[in-house]
Amino acid sequence: MMQWLKKPWPYWIGGVLLGLLNVVLLALTGSAWQVTGGFLLWGAGVLELLGFRPFEWEFFKIYDYKFGEIILHHNIFINKYTILNIGVVAGSLAATLLASQFRLKKAKNIRQAMFALLGGIMMGYGARLTGGCNIGSFFSGIPSFSLHAWVFWIFVILGAWAGVNVLKRFLV
Amino acid sequence: MEVRDLDCLYEPCPIPLIKAIKELKTLNSGDILVVHSDQSCVGAVIVEWAEQNNYPVKLVETNVGEWEVYIQKP
Repeated sequence: MMQWLKKPWPYWIGGVLLGLLNVVLLALTGSAWQVTGGFLLWGAGVLELLGFRPFEWEFFKIYDYKFGEIILHHNIFINKYTILNIGVVAGSLAATLLASQFRLKKAKNIRQAMFALLGGIMMGYGARLTGGCNIGSFFSGIPSFSLHAWVFWIFVILGAWAGVNVLKRFLV
Repeated sequence: MEVRDLDCLYEPCPIPLIKAIKELKTLNSGDILVVHSDQSCVGAVIVEWAEQNNYPVKLVETNVGEWEVYIQKP
């Protein structure tokens, strides 16, 4: 067991480390960290297996610069975004195992599970409207001098405020 | 002196803290509230809140990935 992994680290240490790692990732791969792009491809890939033709949709023409090559080479399920997402899960798992804090968690009740599902659907839909999640649109967007990241930030704060009120009203 | 348990297993931040603050309001001076949680951040935020508000507090890891936070009402 590793003592320095037992307690949550201060936010500023996590922030500095994430920032440095994002710079390393950008230097090595040519693109900054993003998460939901991988899930988008998976979702579209599943639709394709079901007989739809999502990659002909207007939506993917906008993101051709990002996903064009992956789609062209049929690397829908295994691509650089998938590898990054597996890395996030593997890294978290390693950290929690080293801290001896691994534990399978259950849903507390149906209500919590339904709210989690509803929240997940809203987050997924919102991430597609904004072109990314907290990571791709905000965390990687601000250092890229992207104006849309600042707009994203304002609306994330409004959304968090609304979310806290929903939480206090329905989940406490 | 009363010792009251508050089951917050499987509940993410900040729900256990909000529940604990509510529960403490119904306790008398000297009573102890024991918050049960399975998230490392829950212990951290409750200890931080208790220290800021001068509540004696103790965090114990009772099992793998499971904690009890003892808060005494001053």
